[in-house]
Amino acid sequence: MRMGRIAATLGLALSLTGAAAYATAAGIDDPRRADYFKDFAGKTIAFVPVTMGIDLTEGWAAVMKQQADRLHMKLEIRDPHFSADAGAQAITSLISEKPDVLVVHNPDVNSYARLLKRAEAAGIHVIQINMRSNYNSDVYVGADWIGIGEAEANAVLEKCGPGTSQKVAILQGQPTSGSDSGMMKGADNVFSKHPEIKVVANLAGEWDATKAQSIISTVIQQNPDLCGVVGFWDVMDLGAAAAIKQSGKPIVLVTSGGGEQMACDNVAKGVFYKEIAYQVMNQGRDINDMIATVLETGLPAGKLKAVIYSPQLVISKESLHPGLCWSAAALKK
Amino acid sequence: MTIGEWATGLRYRYVPDHVVGEVLGRKWVDNVVPITLLAAVVIYLTATIPNFISLGNLSDISRQIGEFGLIVIGMTVVMIAGGIDLSVGSNFALANVTALALLNVARWPVAASVVATLGVGALAGLVNGLLIGFLKLRAFLTTLVILTLVRAIVEFLLQIYSVRIASSDVEAPAWDFLGAGSVLGAPVSVIALAAVALAAQVALTRLRIGWRIMAVGGSRRAAYNAGIPVPATVCLTYVVSGVLTSLAGVLYAARLSGAGPDTGLGLELNVVTAALLGGNSVGGGRGSVGKALMGAVIVSLLTNGLVRLGLESGASSMVVGLVLLFAIGIDVRWSKWRHRLRAKVYVSPAYLKLPPAPKFIAGASSPYAINDRLRDVEIIGMKEVDGPEDVILDEDGHLYCGVRHGEIVRFLAPDHVRREVYAHVGGRPLGMAFDRAGALVVCIAGMGLYRVDRDRKAQKLTAETNRSPLSIIDDSRMRLADDLDIAPDGKIYFSEATVRYGFEEWVVDALEGRGNGRIICYDPATSSTRTVLRNLLFANGVCVAHDNKSVLFAETWGCRVSRYWLEGPKAGRVEPVISDLPGYPDNINRGSGGAYWVALAGTRTPSYDLAMTMPGFRRRMARRVAADEWLFPNVNIGCVVHFDESGEILETLWDAEGENHPAITSMREHRGYLYLGGVTNNRIGRLKLADADPNWTGPRSYWGATP
Amino acid sequence: MFGRIKSALVSQERIVLVTAVILFCVFSLFLKGFLSAANLLTLVRSVSVLGVLGVAMAIVVIGRGVDLAIVATYAMSAAWTLRLATQGVAIGPALLLGLALAVAVGLINGLLIAFAEIPALFATLGMAAFVYGFVRFALVPLVVVYMPANAASISWIGGGFVAGVPTPILLFALVAFLGHAFLAFTKAGRFIYAMGDNFAAARNSGAPVRGLIVLQYALSAAIAYVAGIITATAVSSVNTNVVNSSLIYDVILVVVLGGIGLSGGRGGIRNVLVGTLLIGILLNGMTIMNIQYTLQNVIRSLILLSAIVLDSLVNPRDEQTEQQGDI
Repeated sequence: MRMGRIAATLGLALSLTGAAAYATAAGIDDPRRADYFKDFAGKTIAFVPVTMGIDLTEGWAAVMKQQADRLHMKLEIRDPHFSADAGAQAITSLISEKPDVLVVHNPDVNSYARLLKRAEAAGIHVIQINMRSNYNSDVYVGADWIGIGEAEANAVLEKCGPGTSQKVAILQGQPTSGSDSGMMKGADNVFSKHPEIKVVANLAGEWDATKAQSIISTVIQQNPDLCGVVGFWDVMDLGAAAAIKQSGKPIVLVTSGGGEQMACDNVAKGVFYKEIAYQVMNQGRDINDMIATVLETGLPAGKLKAVIYSPQLVISKESLHPGLCWSAAALKK
Repeated sequence: MTIGEWATGLRYRYVPDHVVGEVLGRKWVDNVVPITLLAAVVIYLTATIPNFISLGNLSDISRQIGEFGLIVIGMTVVMIAGGIDLSVGSNFALANVTALALLNVARWPVAASVVATLGVGALAGLVNGLLIGFLKLRAFLTTLVILTLVRAIVEFLLQIYSVRIASSDVEAPAWDFLGAGSVLGAPVSVIALAAVALAAQVALTRLRIGWRIMAVGGSRRAAYNAGIPVPATVCLTYVVSGVLTSLAGVLYAARLSGAGPDTGLGLELNVVTAALLGGNSVGGGRGSVGKALMGAVIVSLLTNGLVRLGLESGASSMVVGLVLLFAIGIDVRWSKWRHRLRAKVYVSPAYLKLPPAPKFIAGASSPYAINDRLRDVEIIGMKEVDGPEDVILDEDGHLYCGVRHGEIVRFLAPDHVRREVYAHVGGRPLGMAFDRAGALVVCIAGMGLYRVDRDRKAQKLTAETNRSPLSIIDDSRMRLADDLDIAPDGKIYFSEATVRYGFEEWVVDALEGRGNGRIICYDPATSSTRTVLRNLLFANGVCVAHDNKSVLFAETWGCRVSRYWLEGPKAGRVEPVISDLPGYPDNINRGSGGAYWVALAGTRTPSYDLAMTMPGFRRRMARRVAADEWLFPNVNIGCVVHFDESGEILETLWDAEGENHPAITSMREHRGYLYLGGVTNNRIGRLKLADADPNWTGPRSYWGATP
Repeated sequence: MFGRIKSALVSQERIVLVTAVILFCVFSLFLKGFLSAANLLTLVRSVSVLGVLGVAMAIVVIGRGVDLAIVATYAMSAAWTLRLATQGVAIGPALLLGLALAVAVGLINGLLIAFAEIPALFATLGMAAFVYGFVRFALVPLVVVYMPANAASISWIGGGFVAGVPTPILLFALVAFLGHAFLAFTKAGRFIYAMGDNFAAARNSGAPVRGLIVLQYALSAAIAYVAGIITATAVSSVNTNVVNSSLIYDVILVVVLGGIGLSGGRGGIRNVLVGTLLIGILLNGMTIMNIQYTLQNVIRSLILLSAIVLDSLVNPRDEQTEQQGDI
């Protein structure tokens, strides 16, 4: 009897455990999961960068591609290759093709503004990255340019204090771009508080290293005692670095960029004093999150108006460590 | 007839070989390459891009085509005048920044901004034009320097204005309309392009200035020597290019409102590519607005399609480069080989089976047997005439003939010794006839039908007939009017020997043996011309029958004389009169006693007759053997044949020795004498006819007693 | 006779040379620091790559051609070399492969022009677009290629000094010397002059014109590769986007400005040196005068313009002697 009770108890216990084990294996279904995947499957994301083939756009595209593949979405890239006109053509035809989300990297604040408005009117969610336009679309994901401008100016100030010539050159990319107007504002904010700093040149290198090299070597010849250069994009600023190297003078070069391996290498070599980086991989994830958000919430295009400023990462000799930067070349392998 | 011959006959009757050569001879075949390319691009893009040819996308693309096309038209105008304008890319950017700066920064009204921008474009073009037209700088280098200069100015302006342009946005409906508006569904830029294209087409093809531009491009030196103001003309083309480029720049500015440094960068290459792909040639001489538009559409579709295909970086540049190389390669080969190919395939022999030739050797039983009747002719105008194809006498007995110098020469009655130039007509006179008023009506090779009235003034009657609907070559124009005759109602029936060849190429028409000739009727009452009979084998002699109810005509390579009924039960029908002449008949004329004369310009030979049944053989010969070694029809010896209304041969007159009149192309009977002419002779013969009516004259036979 | 003497005295080369000398003297007198050795080295160094490209272009132009693909070859072959090195190929083989790419481009140019008889202007224009596109598409996926660490052994090419003279200047001198030797002393070089002077006459008298055309484009491509490596090692990177810039026009200007007519058969490497120096003096002088970079470009273009206008004034062209289709 006792044995029987024990056995019964055991049996019950066992069966309970078994049931419990079974319950553990089955888990609890998440009722939103299926909807989640359904929301995305078959959706189309279109990406119009300024150009492909540079670290920033390749990075963003790679991260977007990962999410698109995971959620069975289609990512279409239209490469206008530095031509605002070709980009406008691409966006115009995309408007008639009606992708669900349009991710745009503006060459300047005007060229696409009207088209982006039209796109949202046509029901396409527009996400602008890093370089915004005059039109505020659903989402802006990108660097806090004013903050970066301030950080760059401050970094130059560290090296060009009293005792130096305090002469600084500013090398813009393209003054009408969304990034430059912000960085310029940031730099102004700082330099206006430091009247001792003389901005001896403020020129545009048009994102081109060769042009940057000619400009900066000219500036150096005109101002042999130049103390610092505030550059607006690391890829272009390599040209400025070459000019500085050729002059053989100890000129401080501060830059900003996407935190690609090249930046870390050049900071390590002392070519760049500091790079104020917006981390492209993290920006890519922000873009992905915002793509997911606009698609999931089901809000009509043009209603959301969200902004995500990427946090700044200061790459300097002190902060350097392996893995700090990401590699664009690795993406292309 | 064997089955093989029958098949050959069918094959050459129904396969239109001659069309190939004729197509290759037309100017519009030049457009085959760009049209094929355009079709290929459209087909490829439609197949690979969903909705590529949808209304929405077309209207989007067309807005860009509109801007681009304007610049290509400007470039084409420059290229037609023999220049090139590389500065368009910078001028475009200059117009963009000027328009935006005036509108957004200076706050000018839209109309003023647009006009001022066009003015700036004109100025840039004027600089090019002054340097190249008046200072005679090289176009390539000069516009290259202007390209860098204007680009530098643009960058300088951008440095000053770009931020201010970007930070202010002007609300102007007119401006928005320019950039985004449509009229009846067509974007503004397309309307502008259509208007400009129409104007340019009219100017280039219909106005004096366009002809001057064409002339300068065709041959600058000749244009200069012809008194065309070359510098001003050249200068103008650059101004046109500058204005059109800045117009495109304004439209671009209105569309995007962005003042970036990349605006128009490398545009000049696309524009030159488009102009070339359309078929315009560098260095002038070949070009049109249509070609420009075609090139612009090809390049625009291609660049748009490549962006839409979402290809990896570089792929589109690769494709554009390949297309350019391919198109230019084809174009070079094409223009190089087209003429050679045409020369090879233009001659397209047909199958021609003649009935067996009657024997004409001396002593043969046929009426054609060779005799020596022409040995003792009197000679008129020895070495004073060169090639009197036809001779004719008026009622007073004056003898007229045409000569190679483009004149009609008259030998005065009664002895025909004194010679005078009766009229200068400018072309080679062939057949002649007197009309009721006594004016001389003449067929002139290459010119058409002319009339020389009694006060010796030449006047054109007709040089054009109705064009056959399916003819590739333009057969409305007369190439080789040959012989004529006049019906009592004044209608002039005349033959055109061939529509495919000119007078000097008569032998090629012989080789071809295709019915290229025709009979045409000109009615002076209505001044109308119409083709009566087509597809005749070298239509030659024409003669209105004695009863005026039909017209006799000779077909030289067909070796026959036929009758075309003007009235009566058989009106409009053709029936044979003599179908087996032993030679090649030329002019037919009336004779006394209700008979006719026909001249045989040469005699048939068995080898040539055989060759006419072997078109493949003749084609090979035409392609592979030099023209002076071709098999020729025998035109070294001929005769005069006298026949009656039914086609019965009355007699033949030969010059067996071939001393005086080996080849005869015409003869006229006049008061008992027969006058002989020959297209290669240097004399006119006169033969006393034994049993002819001594009072019979041609004019009286036609028009009765002299009015 | 008098006309010939006159035109020899006031040829475009002379005009440009005199302009350059006058500018040099004026700058030396009035600009502080212009005449210093360091500045003169900077002056030449800044234009030495342009000069090397000018030599390449000159060889083609003298043979009555033009090579618009020169900048594409210059940038893309160098970019591929760096890309190969980045992918782990040893620098030696990478250099050879880059050279092979450049020469292949030159050969194709030559074949298209000599055998397919496509006008040089368009053959090389098309090839420029094709080469850029093909290399970006198939070989170098990024716009900018950086010099990897394993290529440091060649960084002296663009960044080194020999006896205080920057190596780009020395390489420019070497290329100019070899180019001059080729054109002036070899049979092929003399034939290139003959071909440029009168193509039909050269062909009829037995010069192997087709082979020569292929040769000159291959040579120009190879020299462009040298220029590419100098730039790549000087800036430690290659920006392939330079293909879409106006550099090609600068190269043509250097050549034509020096007095090598685009119709061929005239001039020599000396003319390239003159043209390059004028540009160098101008740029350097304006820089020292503290003229803004963008304004410098405007002034430079204006001076170039006046040079060709002056040439046309002293050597006017005539409607009667003008060659048809000679643009």
